[in-house]
Amino acid sequence: MSTPIVSFTDERLPNGLRLIIAADHLAPVAAVNIWYDVGSKHEVPGKTGFAHLFEHVMFQGSRNVGKAEHIALIQAAGGTMNGTTWLDRTNYFETMPSHQLELALWLEADRMGTLLEALSQENLDNQREVVKNEKRWSYDNRPYGSWNEKLQEHLFPPEHPYHHTTIGSMDDLNAASLEDVQQFFRTWYAPNNAVLAVVGDVEPDRVREWVRRYFGPIPANPKLPQIGDLSLPPSLGGEHREIVMDKVPLPRVYFGFRAPPFGDLRLDALDVAGQILAGGRGSRLHRRLVRDERIAQDIALFTLGFVGGASVTAGWATVRPGIEVARVEKAFAEEVERLGREPVSDDEMARARALVEADELGALQRVEERADRLAMYATLFDDPGLINRMLGRYLAVTPEAIRDVAATVLRPANRVVLTYLPELPPADSAIVAEPEEIDEEVAA
Amino acid sequence: MTDVVATRPVPGTPRPYEFPPFRRDRLSNGLRLITVPLPGRPLVSASLVLANGVVDEPADEAGATVLAARALSEGTERYDAIALVEASERLGATLHAEAGWDATSAGVDVPAARLAPALELLAEMVARPTFPEAEVERLRDERLNDLLQARADPRRRADEAFVETVYARESPYHRPSGGTKETVARLDPRSLRAAYAQGVDPAAATLIIAGDLSGLDVPAIAERLFGSWAADARARRPGPLVDRTQVTSRFVRVIHRPGAVQTEIRIGHRGAPRRIPDFYPLAVMGAILGGLFNSRLNMKLREEKGYTYGANAGYDLRRGAGPFSARAAVNTAATVPAVVDFLGELNRIRDEPVGEDELRAARDFLVGVFPLRFETPGAVVGALANIVVHDLPDDELARYRPAIEAVTVREVELAARERIEPDRSAIVLVGDADAFGRELERAGFGPVVIERDEEPIAEGPAEGVEDEMGPAEVGDGR
Repeated sequence: MSTPIVSFTDERLPNGLRLIIAADHLAPVAAVNIWYDVGSKHEVPGKTGFAHLFEHVMFQGSRNVGKAEHIALIQAAGGTMNGTTWLDRTNYFETMPSHQLELALWLEADRMGTLLEALSQENLDNQREVVKNEKRWSYDNRPYGSWNEKLQEHLFPPEHPYHHTTIGSMDDLNAASLEDVQQFFRTWYAPNNAVLAVVGDVEPDRVREWVRRYFGPIPANPKLPQIGDLSLPPSLGGEHREIVMDKVPLPRVYFGFRAPPFGDLRLDALDVAGQILAGGRGSRLHRRLVRDERIAQDIALFTLGFVGGASVTAGWATVRPGIEVARVEKAFAEEVERLGREPVSDDEMARARALVEADELGALQRVEERADRLAMYATLFDDPGLINRMLGRYLAVTPEAIRDVAATVLRPANRVVLTYLPELPPADSAIVAEPEEIDEEVAA
Repeated sequence: MTDVVATRPVPGTPRPYEFPPFRRDRLSNGLRLITVPLPGRPLVSASLVLANGVVDEPADEAGATVLAARALSEGTERYDAIALVEASERLGATLHAEAGWDATSAGVDVPAARLAPALELLAEMVARPTFPEAEVERLRDERLNDLLQARADPRRRADEAFVETVYARESPYHRPSGGTKETVARLDPRSLRAAYAQGVDPAAATLIIAGDLSGLDVPAIAERLFGSWAADARARRPGPLVDRTQVTSRFVRVIHRPGAVQTEIRIGHRGAPRRIPDFYPLAVMGAILGGLFNSRLNMKLREEKGYTYGANAGYDLRRGAGPFSARAAVNTAATVPAVVDFLGELNRIRDEPVGEDELRAARDFLVGVFPLRFETPGAVVGALANIVVHDLPDDELARYRPAIEAVTVREVELAARERIEPDRSAIVLVGDADAFGRELERAGFGPVVIERDEEPIAEGPAEGVEDEMGPAEVGDGR
């Protein structure tokens, strides 16, 4: 079986906008996905949360579009849309009935070209409050909600921009001024800092014509700043531990590991390792901790790929009532470390490959996903063709590659352990035992 | 100044679209088969829909249906749980089973080339489950732990408090579909077998298969694998259902969470069943009030006031009258003003006709987004399962767009007056009552009851792995 090949064209407008088109007429649906090469890693101290706040501002109108009208027009055209901000990117996307594609392109061009003409203090203040409520909802009023923040703080040094989360801090959000927002837009929202992917039931020549007409007049920013060197030592150089008291009924142990950067072949092996360790009910961690020993309520382990020096492998186990937290931590650690010593069996490899393949088939069925991947691979690696090669890379991962990457990444001296404990112990509370000593220096 | 094009593009000619045509067959044991060929969709989705839903279980064994569905893959006559999951993984197949209020479904997603062996595993799972004692015990304990977590999570606490407030104690809708601490604790293999057996009746079940089926004789495969599946003597068709509300006039119930930075708000009442004559006007009205991003509620509470990351409202349409709820999480200081705005909008959509432009935008969205909803086999199977569960005509999906197009201002108004009841709403708030309690008493929403949880256990995780990753990647609130 093979993944359907996504055929696409790849070109640039004179102003530097990269345009990728992939036609496929299965359904009368077309996807637009525009990636700007700006994320929370471009934020400087004191201005965290900015890229994301800005993403909200992008829905507040531009010269020819009123506040929130972007969304109103897309929905009235029968489309869906959203924007996301992450460490390495900000992207905006629409999925449209194909005869409404031109509208989405026009809307994206209007805000790329003229956003600042509509920007007001009132709209900024409104979206600042919305974002603060997003932070409360996603982090502050959510059980275990601080884990991501804490893992990033431990895994990346303070001078590295991955040290802070995309949502940023309340103080910095409060301090964001209109001038900050204007400066941010002028710096990063330029056609030569963007990739536009258009996928689905489209005629490529019409798309080219529209894109030239709408985006063509937008000037490039000739002085796009270069982000500094984000490289990091491959290892954390010691274990970090933190105990967090939270309003949670069950303790939970989080693990974070510093992993190779996104794009590195070793990360492919780590992704397959994640499947073997935690991908569903046949996985090793689920089998041992949840099914056999019944010491965990649930488990997880996955890798988040980042291009700026290192990625993050994160995982957790929620401790069942009455079980020692240390026992769960030990069992989790044993399983991930075992992967670094013993090669995975042929049958386990075959099962992992079959699941990875089915996942890839499922994901690529949707035009929105194809557009996202094309824009992502072009933005991060200058290589949209990776969309057709990633499955092959995953299938080529060997048991030895998994063993090697597990041995370097999933080890005590390269990990963060966060232990969440109930502020008020439940009736049959777990007893927290001292964790075993680790024979390397303990940082943090 | 950048010289962008000021003229808005006009739409092109829509490409004709119809919901994918499907074919019906019947196996020798009476099992209905629906096949939907979707060329170019290599990941096939299959789902067997059984007639037993949560509403059909005895109240003192609440949770048995949901747990039985979860236990289907925990062991069969031929495979133990691990052997079954490994066999499916070798095929790149994902086997799953879940129970809802009105039905149980068991299914598999698999690359088309391995459909037959995957269906064989599905058939084994539904025809010969063994509900092993040790695994049932584990699933039961996991559910009890989950309930502990739910009680402590603001979102889930609010959802559960809302339905138990709205529905009478004798209605199954009063409790979570997965049962309560008291009922789950007494579940065992016998109760799960009994709950599942109610749905084991080929003549009342439907197997739905969608995807790129070229070169496959699906009816023959289905006959070979499911044709000898036999009814259980305990199988029965759904009986009458109690969906009575216990709310007679508006009041406020507060679940106090000291120090909470947000208040979870749920406002609403008993809603409507799926099979109603005003289904289409209700859909349009719901979109205008709280379904679209630019709905009245979201525009008011988010885009104008900034109280929340998102406000919405909607109906949970079930065989009986599921709940109508309006929802948001707002910063604590905005709690009372937000409730004022919620009630204001619930009244306004009843009292004033909606604008022609609002109506058009909502209709155009529902009609236009229709083809986008059915891009994948899984979504197509889901829509057909809904038709099966609610016993709707086969052309229901074909009629959807013209029916929505035809909805008028007057019909929306009638739907709102009939089905939005601001004066008989329960207002459930989960938040820091010490911060807004006095203001709430003065606001005149109705009697206020403040509950301080006797168990000093706080928040627990509401969702699974995917949701835990959500906060890391931030969107704009859609």
